[in-house]
Amino acid sequence: MSTSPSTHLVEVEHLRKSFGDNVVIEDVSFTVDPGTVTCVIGPSGSGKTTLLRALNALEVPDKGIVRIGDTTVDFAGINPGARGRLPRAQRAELMALRRHSGMVFQAHHLFPHKTALENVTEGPVVVQHEPGAEATERARRLLDKVGLADHADKYPFQLSGGQQQRVGIARALAMRPDLVLFDEPTSALDPELVGDVLGVMKALAGEGLTMVVVTHELRFAQQVADQVLFIDGGLIVEQGPPQDVIANPQHPRTKTFLQRLLEPI
Amino acid sequence: MKRAASALFVVLLGLLCVAVPSSAAPASSTSTGGEMDPLGAARAAGLPPTIKVGTEGVYPPFSYHGGTGSGLTGYDVDVMNAIGKHLGVKVEYVETPFDSMFAALEAGRFDVVANQITFNEERNARYDLSDPYVETTGVLVVRKDETRIKTIADLKGKRSAQNITSNWAEVAKKAGATVVPVDDMALAIDNLEQGRVDALVNDKLAIRNYLATKKDAGVKVVAETDDVSRSVLAARKGSGYLPQLNKAIADLKADGTLDKIYAKYFGAERKQTSTLQVMKDNAWPMARAALTKTIPLTAISFAIGMVIALAVGLMRMSKQPVVSGIARLYISFIRGTPLLVQLFLIFYALPQLGVKIEPFLAAVIAFSVNVGGYAAEIVRSSVESLPKGQWEAASTVGMDYATTLRRIILPQAARTAVPPLSNTLISLVKDTSLAAVILVTELFQQARLAAAPSFEFLALFGMAAVYYWVICLVLSFVQSRTETRLNRFVAA
Repeated sequence: MSTSPSTHLVEVEHLRKSFGDNVVIEDVSFTVDPGTVTCVIGPSGSGKTTLLRALNALEVPDKGIVRIGDTTVDFAGINPGARGRLPRAQRAELMALRRHSGMVFQAHHLFPHKTALENVTEGPVVVQHEPGAEATERARRLLDKVGLADHADKYPFQLSGGQQQRVGIARALAMRPDLVLFDEPTSALDPELVGDVLGVMKALAGEGLTMVVVTHELRFAQQVADQVLFIDGGLIVEQGPPQDVIANPQHPRTKTFLQRLLEPI
Repeated sequence: MKRAASALFVVLLGLLCVAVPSSAAPASSTSTGGEMDPLGAARAAGLPPTIKVGTEGVYPPFSYHGGTGSGLTGYDVDVMNAIGKHLGVKVEYVETPFDSMFAALEAGRFDVVANQITFNEERNARYDLSDPYVETTGVLVVRKDETRIKTIADLKGKRSAQNITSNWAEVAKKAGATVVPVDDMALAIDNLEQGRVDALVNDKLAIRNYLATKKDAGVKVVAETDDVSRSVLAARKGSGYLPQLNKAIADLKADGTLDKIYAKYFGAERKQTSTLQVMKDNAWPMARAALTKTIPLTAISFAIGMVIALAVGLMRMSKQPVVSGIARLYISFIRGTPLLVQLFLIFYALPQLGVKIEPFLAAVIAFSVNVGGYAAEIVRSSVESLPKGQWEAASTVGMDYATTLRRIILPQAARTAVPPLSNTLISLVKDTSLAAVILVTELFQQARLAAAPSFEFLALFGMAAVYYWVICLVLSFVQSRTETRLNRFVAA
């Protein structure tokens, strides 16, 4: 928050989110520079996932400002009213914010009634009205990039967990987002499948894709992240490059967390 | 006022998704107020150019369908045709169950009843009754082996099968009998033969016809009523038809036409047709009723019902309390009231608010609205059974609500919805038989029309059952094909 705002791709200011009485994010601010990888770590229930989902408004924060690219949403003005739906104008604001990012879910959430290829082309063709042949051609290249060129015509149930997750990555990339949000992309996978997914993510980072990754994979964070946010109790407890936050943590809560993670009983 | 009341009623019925007011508008005749007489100004001039006549169609030999499944015929029909010809007006028949006859007359579904209506003072006070065109007595009918019942007075404490709104029911009741309501004479005789009732009182001519048709009948006539029953035509009070009708009856009596018709139906004995022949004769008429009424009624109602179900199901899931409240009320009303009552409301009750709908259309509306209510819950539960992540994933690739529904949610929901929706469809096929009560001659009504003059209940109702079964077998086959197709993206 020291440099000129225009150089950041993402700016988050004083985000707060509660579910009823339970305050999940108390007050969080950070920035993401284009072409960088930000890893969000922290104990379960610390608000990592909620924070990530606030960036594309899958969770609507109580207040705070999120700017991505040229879209700024001040959540203080987004109000569902009494149990009702959001007004049309507010929904349009959230949609505009959402358009900047792609998302990879922990449980992949592929469309089960569509093949791998169709999962990837669905957004471009239906939402962006890209011509079918062009979208298919691009989708094949994306599937090739995530190592699934031979599986394009399979349905999700015919793929392994790691393959499903990589289709999810291709689907997110197909929308040509400014950044991709990863919500614990390897947590639901068998250990031997984790490497494939992380490998793909590493390659994407190498190509300069802006990524925000909620993860428990400390080695990945150490190798790939430009910035690590350690979150606990709805606050950013420590942040900085991985060689500081992970290799040389200052705050006692960060130390405890990392010790538990690195030296399980 | 009336319009507002009618609109309110329509909403209450949950018809909001169907364009009732617009479809009903041409048939409606209320805004002028006053009696619901579709003839309006023509009334003053007497009979309209085409006179609509209500008759049962299942009361041989007065009003029935000939053994070959052909058109309407019978003594009353011939008399009415002769009257029409004499007066130079066209006659059109509307077949109506006897117990709905006067309700339908008052609802303006037809202008005159020709169905052996017996003159009595109560009726004379409520309706315009013509001079009699035939006089008969009633007879008391019992099983062949019956010994206790010999006179009308012996009916005291016995069970007698009657049309409840018919004059003969009054005779039985006055003698102290318990009246067991039946739909038509054929069923009354069947109940008597089966021993479910002890006796019946009915028109002498009708019974004579029955005994001539069924030589092996297990019933006998033991007594005749004292009073002569005079059969008259009935019209709404103040119709202005009476002078012409009475003159025609007098003329036809004078020139011997009525005698000729009488001889045709009550003169010689008639030959009996074999069961097999009756089945052969009716195979095609029943198939035709299935093809032109039962199947289209099912298909159209189901299609419209699905649209309603989708709309109401989605409304039911709305976060806005008013919207979901309306959907809840609709579903609750449809599931909480009998389909038969819904049919009657639309066909017999709405005309009292000035909304008159033709039988087939009324049936389509009732069935669509009914299916819509039941299927809305199926739509809702199958949509809600999908993981929330599908909605989220769709929104992260930029889809709005409608696109998500169309591309992502409904195709998946269809998979879980097909088995229960198939149940609804198969029930609907069978429920269409209820349309008979609102004057739609569908498959089952066709079977009843054939059974009335021939008394071949087992053969004809059995055939109807097989026809329904075949339709449902085909649907079950389509269901399993559809399920297989929708399951292709799911692990075995």
